[in-house]
Amino acid sequence: MNRIDALIELDNVRKSFGDVPVLKGISMFVQKGEAVCIIGPSGSGKSTILRCINGLIPVDKGFVRVGAHRVHEMKSERQMRALRHQVAMVFQQYNLFPHRTALENIMMAPIQVLGHDRAEVEERARKLLKKVRLSEKADSYPGQLSGGQQQRVAIARALAMQPDVILFDEVTAALDPETVKDVLFAIRELVEEGLTCILVTHEMKFARDVSQRVCFTDHGLIVESAPPAELFDNPRDPRTREFLGQVL
Amino acid sequence: MFGLDYSWLADPAYQQWLLTGVINTLKLATLSSSVAILIGMLGAFGLTLRIFWLDALIELFVEVFRNTPPLLQMLFAYFTLSSLGLRVTDPSTGLSVPLLSAFACAAISLSLFGGALAIEAFRSGIETMPRSIIDAARSLGYGRWARFWRIEAPIATRICLPALTNILTNLFKTTSQASVITVPELMYYAGQIYNDTFRTLEVMILVLLIYVVLVSILTFAMARLEAFMAFPGYGRGH
Ligand SMILES: Nc1ncnc2c1ncn2[C@@H]1O[C@H](COP(=O)(O)OP(=O)(O)O)[C@@H](O)[C@H]1O
Ligand SMILES: [Mg+2]
Repeated sequence: MNRIDALIELDNVRKSFGDVPVLKGISMFVQKGEAVCIIGPSGSGKSTILRCINGLIPVDKGFVRVGAHRVHEMKSERQMRALRHQVAMVFQQYNLFPHRTALENIMMAPIQVLGHDRAEVEERARKLLKKVRLSEKADSYPGQLSGGQQQRVAIARALAMQPDVILFDEVTAALDPETVKDVLFAIRELVEEGLTCILVTHEMKFARDVSQRVCFTDHGLIVESAPPAELFDNPRDPRTREFLGQVL
Repeated sequence: MFGLDYSWLADPAYQQWLLTGVINTLKLATLSSSVAILIGMLGAFGLTLRIFWLDALIELFVEVFRNTPPLLQMLFAYFTLSSLGLRVTDPSTGLSVPLLSAFACAAISLSLFGGALAIEAFRSGIETMPRSIIDAARSLGYGRWARFWRIEAPIATRICLPALTNILTNLFKTTSQASVITVPELMYYAGQIYNDTFRTLEVMILVLLIYVVLVSILTFAMARLEAFMAFPGYGRGH
């Protein structure tokens, strides 16, 4: 793959928490419009990879680039602002601000952070709520929504930033099985529309269906990276084989 | 009735004293409560910055003011601040008077005492907030300052409002100790009246009732505020 063309580029990224190495040299490239899934055992560093990509945590060593932003060189939150505009993230749970309604949650950052016009943002927010099929919940508070509905609002909120990339960190892992489907449906739509996505997920069937590439992580390393059909049907590394044997 | 004699209440001079006392108590309580809340918020904000020396400083402040009697703090403030020798000439009388009046000393010391308690309350409000809400705010591009005022403070305030109500009622009652440093608030005038009339029990009963009414108004207002600010999923908003 051509790394210069890639929208996202990680090269030999290392990160330790205290004495514990969590990322031991992660390299990956993501093209514009690509959907890449990251799978792997709990604690293998999947969330940490996403957090390094959008600068939530600084890397110890290595190179992280998103578009024109050299993330590993950014020191302050101010420098990160343009990056945050370009990279959105949805977390496993408790994404939404509980003191604001669904609609306000979507509108806040575009107005308060990006300084966009309120009327224009509201129109955008209502369209996005419609897109995630929650128009009638505009005035509900997060505490009044199911977990799946909250996650769909969180996705709409991420989209309202008009990002080039969205990072999804196990966004269905804390949900009731019935509501998982709606959230996956919303994500699938985004992927099909060509939005660049990196998805950490435990939903293997979903990973196989939507992604162009799957990365398997273990102990802070990307052990294997391949198109889903290849990785799921003919895993080359014994660690991948063992993991898939457990989860499939 | 019950052998209690309230005939002195008919005296306009005593009525005036009581009224002035209530007004000064309200002034002292309002001023020190407002400053205490401000100190609480700024202190809690300071703690979110995670700067080593600032943490230590705020921690020390909280420990000192939370763990010593407010009366002692007030006396301390009164004697140190007034002995700093800061004096001004009162333009109306031409007399040299201390720059910081007893009222100012009481207000400063009560603000600091209440502020120390409020820092604790806001801090615990912020700490009980799920980590991912802060991560979400960061990933949406909120800087530290905006994040605190737009997200952390509004949520933490709702979480810690019951604790804050306790602190404010406490602070209100503690204003009575300002009488010791001659601040002419309610308790001070109460003393003046019973020294004059020797109706100690009657005066105390009346003052007690006044405090009950005033503090009840405060707790009622705070309860209304709590209901008004409630949102589903937190506190009373269920
Ligand atoms: N902020 C942190 N401080 C200390 N250790 C952390 C922190 N974040 C993650 N870790 C540790 O790093 C390892 C990898 O975490 P994570 O990236 O969340 O894994 P995954 O998402 O694959 O489950 C875990 O052992 C976790 O305990
Ligand atoms: Mg994780």
